[in-house]
Amino acid sequence: MFPKAPDLHKPNKPLVPNGLGIIYVLASATYLFLLHYFQPDSPALVLAVCILFGGFMGLLDDWMDLRWRYKAFFPLIATIPLITLATRLELRTYITIPFLGTIYFGDFYYFIIIPLIVIITTNTVNQLGGLNGLETICPGIILAGLIFLSGSDATLLLFPFTVWVVLAFFNFQGKIFVGNTGSFAIGITLASFAIISDFKTSLLISLLPYIFNSSLILLTYFLFRTKAAVTFDGEKLSSSHRRSLITVVTHNRRLTERQVVAIISLIVAIFTSLAVLENLFLT
Amino acid sequence: MGIGEVLSKERFVNGLKNLSKLRAKVSHGSIMTFSALILILLTAFVIRMMPVKWEIQSGSIHLSEFDPYFQFRFTQYIVNNGFISWNWPSPGWNDTQRWYPWGMLVAKQGYPGLPFTTAFLYKIVAALGVNIDLMTFCAVIPPIMGMLASLAIYFLGKDIGGKTVGLFAALFLALSPSFLQRTALGFFDDETIGILALIIFLILFLRAIDEDKPQSSSMMYAIGSGLALGYFSAGWGAAYYPIDATALFVLVLILLKRYSQRLLLSYGLTFGIGMFIAMNVPKLSPTYLATAPILAVAGVFVLLCVYEISRVLTTMKLKFLFIAAFLALLIGGFAVFWQLGYMQEIAGKFWSVVNPFARTVSPLTESVAEHRISAWGSIYYEFGIGIIFFITGFFFVLRNLNNRNLFLLILGLTSLYFASSMVRLFVLLAPIFSLLGAIGIVGILKPFITLFKEPPKITTKKKYSLDYVGREFSGMTILLIFLILMTNFAFAPQTGGMPKVYRQAYTPITITTGSLPIVPSEPVREWIDMLDYTRKLGASTVVVSWWDYGYWLTVLGNVTTLCDNATKNGTQIENVGFIFIANETQSIKMLREYRAEYILVFTTIDTNGNWAGSGDEGKWPWMVRISGKGQARLMNSGFMDPSNPWGDTLEDAAKFGNQTLGSDGKDLNKDGTISQDELIANPRGQNTTIYKLMVYARNRWIETHKGGSPPQEPEYFKEAFIAGLSLKPEEAGKYGNIIPLVALYKIQYPTS
Repeated sequence: MFPKAPDLHKPNKPLVPNGLGIIYVLASATYLFLLHYFQPDSPALVLAVCILFGGFMGLLDDWMDLRWRYKAFFPLIATIPLITLATRLELRTYITIPFLGTIYFGDFYYFIIIPLIVIITTNTVNQLGGLNGLETICPGIILAGLIFLSGSDATLLLFPFTVWVVLAFFNFQGKIFVGNTGSFAIGITLASFAIISDFKTSLLISLLPYIFNSSLILLTYFLFRTKAAVTFDGEKLSSSHRRSLITVVTHNRRLTERQVVAIISLIVAIFTSLAVLENLFLT
Repeated sequence: MGIGEVLSKERFVNGLKNLSKLRAKVSHGSIMTFSALILILLTAFVIRMMPVKWEIQSGSIHLSEFDPYFQFRFTQYIVNNGFISWNWPSPGWNDTQRWYPWGMLVAKQGYPGLPFTTAFLYKIVAALGVNIDLMTFCAVIPPIMGMLASLAIYFLGKDIGGKTVGLFAALFLALSPSFLQRTALGFFDDETIGILALIIFLILFLRAIDEDKPQSSSMMYAIGSGLALGYFSAGWGAAYYPIDATALFVLVLILLKRYSQRLLLSYGLTFGIGMFIAMNVPKLSPTYLATAPILAVAGVFVLLCVYEISRVLTTMKLKFLFIAAFLALLIGGFAVFWQLGYMQEIAGKFWSVVNPFARTVSPLTESVAEHRISAWGSIYYEFGIGIIFFITGFFFVLRNLNNRNLFLLILGLTSLYFASSMVRLFVLLAPIFSLLGAIGIVGILKPFITLFKEPPKITTKKKYSLDYVGREFSGMTILLIFLILMTNFAFAPQTGGMPKVYRQAYTPITITTGSLPIVPSEPVREWIDMLDYTRKLGASTVVVSWWDYGYWLTVLGNVTTLCDNATKNGTQIENVGFIFIANETQSIKMLREYRAEYILVFTTIDTNGNWAGSGDEGKWPWMVRISGKGQARLMNSGFMDPSNPWGDTLEDAAKFGNQTLGSDGKDLNKDGTISQDELIANPRGQNTTIYKLMVYARNRWIETHKGGSPPQEPEYFKEAFIAGLSLKPEEAGKYGNIIPLVALYKIQYPTS
């Protein structure tokens, strides 16, 4: 059936089916194709292409183990449909950040900001994972926040979101993994949906925990050449250093896997609610 | 022997068995391949024939755009006068109905490849007793060639990566938008045979350098590829591309130390034959061999020879002497050629492709849409998200860099560069893209297909292996790739749904849309009516029009014109631009020089009488800029008024109206846009001849359908025939609410 991978944070390291994110990709693409049929003017196809591309990239990664330098820039291809869509819709080319004011980008928006959003979102989302439920629940929360804000564009993601929730449920229970296929696909979904429905600032605020995590990992790697690792003693997780979000949470603290996931999800939920509040009251 | 014995059951059964032996042994797989290929070819042909819908309604089949009419006229001449008379006795056929009063030497203007091919095929068909109109025959040639190109690329793909690659490549090429556009019904131009010749050349050349083939068959393939290259050179000006790409490929082979005697032999034969044919093409002539791109070929050949000789020479001293002598010869030869002036400049067009920064800023070349620089973004519009297969194709090619893949890599990179330099060259990228895309898809799918067919045997030991993947997962992966392909061929996000290829296919031929950028529900009759009218005027009647309509007037309208799409004689086009942009008194002086009898303008309006922008009311800035190029000459010869001159810049065009011809916009209410009531008259623009001719036609239409007094005629131009005058406003819906007006005026010269 599906390729299996060991669940490292369980006593016997049982094998769990991996790569089920492909279900999300196929279901969303089919749904969006159908949606295009009923609403020809909606940006459904662009979203479908982006998700398909994310899935494709994850698939390559699962199969060929792409190097990091390729993985980091591969999502650039997915920006082409987004750039063309953004130029066609003539989306606003500025970002409003609370307390900092509005930044006008002009044409640079299309060629610098969109690719940046896509690359950052996809890669940071891909980097926070490794615990059951972590890589599914947290993006799910951000997605829920964006859907809540987006109003009429929400139809685009209703069904994909449902599928993702189901996957997250099983993932949290430790029955499946979504693999890189799922992780890249959901990352690109977030980025492209935020661009299509114009909620870049909200996405950025929701993503702050992710960005923190990735910066921490990259900084420790480039400065000290060390990598983050959690130790599992057969029952609980702990770590002796602070080199990633997970290790920060478990630093000198023994927590079960579920506790860690709950804490990080809570952090993400707080930032997502901040993003929602900011969008509702500050703009 | 009784009859019962003859018809015995045993004999009968045996007979049947023997019968079944006659059946050729065909495997299931090859039947599948064959039927898939047939389906692809059928699709390729049918989709290219789609414009026929409007052609049947309009009564006869026309050719698209403009250039195909020249090819048609050339073909017609060959069919009527034989295969030699167009060029012999020298200088050959001077077409006096074009570029009056000079005429046009056809042999120097056109490549004979396509007309020869078509005339040859037409003679065969005619000899078989099929009575078919030549124009219809010419119109059907491109779809057939497009189909054959798909077939050819199947064989090329099969050589490179097996049948599957061939099939995917054939499918991609059959549905490639730019290639489809260039081989659709009626697009009777050089590219139709060019791409086919390119693919055949690639097949044969790659086989010729294949080390696994016996020497004798290598020779045959090399001769074949030389012929294909010669055919390409005689058919399409883009021949520089395969020639230099091949030279570059061989150079890379030398650098990678992959030299072999076979390479020298095949390369020499191919280019020897190819260049021999090319230099006999009148348009190219032997000087072709001295152009820089062809000298590069010779250079690579010399390198190959040097390599061969240095292999034969054994001692170090001999080698050294030889190389020193060679270098001296090289430098000396270069100096001599430089002195003698043989190092010709590369034709401006091609150089501008090689180096986008060195592009000539000639308004004449710029005004031709197909020479425009294409943006990188257009690659996405062209190929959609299928780009990812192109990129993965590069990946797989790089992983296994044998000679074929190396050639493919070079072709892919160079054609990508050229396509992004010039819109028209997308058609060169199309076959290479198809091949690389096919390689990418097949490369990704291969492991999954294998798994899908036979999942690995589960042994107890390997049960929990990481590699264990079942059918379901492979199936889903295949489905994912299929969905991505669907966004290419079914739901294209880049065009908001319908893929570009179908939109391109389902577009009527230019003249049948009356040169309007629309897909009408019925053929637009106005241009066809006008050309029916001019046919009665006689072949020697001189009709002045902007060059876009030159071919139509000459070929379909059978009159003599001053200029057409050949854009051969820049001075003459400047003069024609001057005729339109100068005021009546000035332009009548120029018209008298040419003894012109009629002048034709094309204009489009909406049902309220406002300009619609698809006719000359959209082209006049080019007329200003092109005629402005001849400012000094026109003033010296007394045509242009020195107190009121114009040049070739955009600002010069704006002098005649910064909104439309004859009106300036002034943002009175400061809302950032110019609305209808914020236009003020620009007297200079309203004094131009073209303005008067267009406005008169427009006002005649308004008078006919909305009432009012008859408009005042221009001083020296009397209405002869205005096609579209009878089109009622309520009928304009079928043309997308645009009224095309093709107006022909008789020129009345003042007596003085």
